Order: sequence, then C-alpha cells, then structure tokens
Amino acid sequence: MSYLLTTLTKKEDVDSIIRDTIDKLLVLRFGRSSDSVCLLLDDILSKSEQDVSKFASIALVDVDSEEIQVYVKYFDITLIPSTVFFFNAQHMKMDSGSADHTKWVGAFHRKQDFIDVVEEIFRGAMKGKLIVNCPLPPERIPKFQLLYKGV
Amino acid sequence: MVSSVDELLPPKGNEKKRGRGKKVHLRIPNLVSSLERLAMEIPSETKNPNPSTVTTESSSKRKEKNTDFEFCKVCKLNHNQGRCHNFFPNHVKSLSSFLSRFHSKLSDVRFFLKNPGVLPPDLASRNRFWCVFCDSDVIEHGSSFTCEKGIRHLASADHLKNLKSFMWKYGGGKDRIDRFRFTEADLAKYEQKRISLKSESGTEQSHGPLIGPSNDIHNEQKFDYVDNFDRSRIISHNSSFQNSVLPLQDYTNEKYQVSHSDLSGHVATNTSSYDSQSLLSASDANHSNNLRGNVGGSGLTNGYHYNGLVYAEKRESNGESNLAGPQKLTQISSAFNEPNAGNVHSGAPPPWFNATNGIDLNAIKTKTSKSKLNPKRVGAAWAEKRKIEMEMEKKGVLPVNKFDASWLPNFGRVWQSGSRKDSRKEFEVEAKKPVKDEGQNVDSSMQLQPYISKRMKIDHVFLEFLPFFFLHVILSAGKPMDDLFYYSNKGV
Repeated sequence: MSYLLTTLTKKEDVDSIIRDTIDKLLVLRFGRSSDSVCLLLDDILSKSEQDVSKFASIALVDVDSEEIQVYVKYFDITLIPSTVFFFNAQHMKMDSGSADHTKWVGAFHRKQDFIDVVEEIFRGAMKGKLIVNCPLPPERIPKFQLLYKGV
Repeated sequence: MVSSVDELLPPKGNEKKRGRGKKVHLRIPNLVSSLERLAMEIPSETKNPNPSTVTTESSSKRKEKNTDFEFCKVCKLNHNQGRCHNFFPNHVKSLSSFLSRFHSKLSDVRFFLKNPGVLPPDLASRNRFWCVFCDSDVIEHGSSFTCEKGIRHLASADHLKNLKSFMWKYGGGKDRIDRFRFTEADLAKYEQKRISLKSESGTEQSHGPLIGPSNDIHNEQKFDYVDNFDRSRIISHNSSFQNSVLPLQDYTNEKYQVSHSDLSGHVATNTSSYDSQSLLSASDANHSNNLRGNVGGSGLTNGYHYNGLVYAEKRESNGESNLAGPQKLTQISSAFNEPNAGNVHSGAPPPWFNATNGIDLNAIKTKTSKSKLNPKRVGAAWAEKRKIEMEMEKKGVLPVNKFDASWLPNFGRVWQSGSRKDSRKEFEVEAKKPVKDEGQNVDSSMQLQPYISKRMKIDHVFLEFLPFFFLHVILSAGKPMDDLFYYSNKGV
C-alpha cells in the first residue's frame, strides 16, 4: 500500500518535506507497512489523498529506519500507527478526548472521518490556532492507553 | 401648590428632638413664609383657574403629538417622533441612500432624454419604472420612443408637486429637487430630437430591432433584472461609452455580434441616412464574408479586425463632428493577421510583451493569489520567508542548503509542560543525557538498594547522593545532623 503514497526513510527527507510544504497541511504517518492497523490507515490515506490534495499532503514515515529514531523519540511515538500534523513547519495539535493531543494514534473508522479531521485541523491552522478540537464523536476515535514515558 | 398642611409643620428632624425631651423651637419664620406662599398662590390660582391644566394640556398636546404614529416611507418604519424624525441620523442616512437609488434608476431615463431612441413595441413592457414621489408606475405603453412616457412624467407639473411635498415631508432639501425632474427646456429639446429621429427612422425600418438599445444590456429595461453589482458596472460603462454601446444579440457568434454592433453604434449617433446605407452595404458584404469565409479562425479574425478598424474610424469621425459626410472606408488586407497569435479575447499577452517576459506574467499572476491567505494563519511569517527562499533556490541564487542533522521541527511534546521552544531544548538535553549515563550504567544499577529502616540501623552507611536526594531531605528535616544515615554503594 505504501507504494501509493510517498514513503520516507531518511531524516533529511522528513525535514525537507516539513519545510517545503507551505500553506498546506502535512500529514505524517509513522508506522510500519507490515502492521495490520497501519495497513488500514494507509488504505484510507491513499484513498483520500486526492480528495484533500488541495489543502493537505500526505507522507508515510517508516518507523524502523535508524535515522527516523530521532523523530520517534522527539515525537514520543510509542504506539503505531501515529499520525503527526504539521502546518508551515508548525506542529498542530488536536484534542480528541484522549491523553495525547500531539498526534493521532491508530487508524480511522471511515475515510470521511479522516477527511473531517484534516479539514478541522486545516481550518484551525488558517485561523491561527495551534490546537483544534476533534469533530468526530468519541465512539469513532480509537482508544489507547498512554503509559508515562513509555515505562 | 401646597397640597397638605404637613408642609407647614416643621421638618421631621424636630420631632425626634421632641421625643428626646428637648425644647422645641418651632420654626416661626418658616411658618410665616409658607403662609405667605399660600396666600400668594391662592390669588394666582383664582386668576388662572387652570394654570396647571393649561400646561398639562399643552404638554399632553405635545405628548399627543409624540404618540401619533406615522409611517416614514424612507426608513420604512412607524414612528411617533413627529417632525423630529427627519433630523435623526438614521433617517438622514436612509434618505440619502433612497434618493441615490432612485437617482440611479433615472439615469437611464436621462440618457434617453439626451439621445432619443426608438422603442420596439414588444419591449415596451420592460421599459418602465416606479416613481417614488408620485407612488405610481410609469409604463411605456404605446410610445414609440424609449422612456418617452417616463420623460414626460418627470417633466410634468404633477410630478413636481409630488416631489416638493415629498421633500418637505422627509426633509430632502430644495437643492435635490432638480435632480429628480426635467425642466421645460429639457423637454423641449427632447421633443426636437424626437421629431428629427422620427423622420430618420422612416428610412431604416428594416433595422428596427438593431437600432437603439433594445437589446442593449446597458439599457434600463433590463435594469430591474440585473443585480446591484451589474448595475453599478453598467452605469459606469454607460457613462463612458455614450455613443458606442455593444448590443447583445441572440446569436452566440461573437464576430457576428461585433459586426452588428458596429452598425447600430453608427446608426445611433449618425443622423445622416446616407451614411447608414453605405455602411450597411459595406458591413453586409463583410457579414456575408464572415459567414461564408469561415475558415478556422482566420476568416473571423479578418472580419473582427476590419470591424474594429471601421469602428475606430467611426468613433474618430464622431468625435470631430456628428454630421460627417459620406465616408469611404478602405479594407485592410489580412496579410499580417496571424491566426495563431491570439488576441485580447483569447487572453494572449499584448505584442509589446516579449516571449521572454512571459514568465514574469505568470509570476505576477501567482503573486496576487497568494496575498489572499489569512495573514494570521499558523506559521504565516515562516511560510512567507520560506517561499522567498524557495524562489531564490529555484533561480539558483541561493544554493540548496543541506539541512543539518540536528534540525528538529517545532513540536509540542506529550509529557512536557511549557512552551514548544522548550520542548526542543528538553529533547536535546535528554538526547545528551544517555551519552553520559552510559558510563555510569553499571554503578547506577547497584544504587537500587532495599529499604532498610533507619531505626533498625546502628552503623552509619553512605548514601549515593543523586537518586536518593529526596530521602536525604526527609531524613534531615526531622533529625539532627549527627543522625544522618548514609548507605554505601560498596555493598552491605
């Protein structure tokens, strides 16, 4: 599935894509292409990439590569798939009712859910907000347990 | 008026004093003065049996005046403010907008006062307006000229009377009256023009539908059906192109349209019939040429260019004198017309733009679209900077930077409290830490000792300072310095 979307394995690539995506939301998925939940998420991402192409761009980051480990630590990625959102090299947070606002953990239930989330973050970003509220109802938000500092 | 005897009594303060047993000094001077007042008031009362009632009457009258509701046509609301309403700022504002709106509706009528045009009967129903002063519809029924009835109405005495009363009622001002009516002199001029036009129109019956603004989008009959935005555009357009309106035809063929526009534009301005005939024949030939010679774009562009030139020449001639003599126009050959070059309509750049400058056009285009983005959006300043950087990189001015491996984006971390800038610093600090601690890894594992109660302990043991700092603090808080216990890491 990852052949449909841009996959990144080097830190340089990730840096350049963060810096070069201007006035568009950048969706970075951290995960493994072999993981089942990642595959679900990737499927939704690839299907909706064209729909959101005018205001968002999507890229996949392979979490197993060594150069990316810096980012894994920096972004506190402990569960995959984790999706981080950037706008103009600024990190966008979303309050989805879970403990972790900095990223989206897990897959989406529907393609439309993903598009809604992306739209909400984009609108917030255009207004100058760094954190937005999740438009999805709680039953469609994947739940996870966040342990303190990965312990 | 003294209503009760209580007023004559001393004020209540004294009563209290009385209660306390103090001697009361009745305010005799006050009593006298109040008696005097009473004495004075009685004769005054008898003089004017109803002084208060008179005042109350007038005040009630005033009140009555105020309570009378009347409808203000300008503000479209009922008010009980009487004549004062005309001076309120809201009313003044709505009056000015109301009058300017009607004035703009009349602008087309005014145009036809100066340039009479023939009105075909089927379009007569559209050529009407509502006169707000007379509260009546002015319909062109059975008039052969556009806005004829409208013009007559606006010049009539009845209309003037209604206009004046309206202005008085709503505080319009006498200077505005002349804007909404036509004088006798204007009407006389119009009549003259009309007669002359009538004599002309006898020769040009076949081109009735083309003459005049019947199909003209600038015309007022379509006024009511055009929204405000278009109206303002059309007005400005109309004012600048008095003599050269382009009528909208039913045909979608633009070139055909242009050829006829040329004809009608000419006719509307030129009074000589001979001219029209000559042009007729010329454009007819051209028109047939258009339809026959429809070889790709070349025939059309040929026709267009020809028409454009004819048009230009006509305008020039009209600028000098309206009554130019018969003109023999030369047809310019289409030799130097490039069919693929494109023109204004196809959006091609003008010939003074070189091919190399074409890139600049694109840059200009994109630049204007960027400025629409919200300047308050997230990372706006950074984005602008980055865009400039990328432009420069594209042009090759700035070399593409090799990003250093230690660059990290602005990220708000999960377990940090504080600003996002701190998160990066925190991360860097943490990143350095594992390098240090690796050396002490072996030692640190030994530091984890089972807890032994200090009361049980007799000997002094040494404690490793850092991890058990808090324990040290708790111990030292309650006890004197001698009794501090330390655990050694050399093993127990």
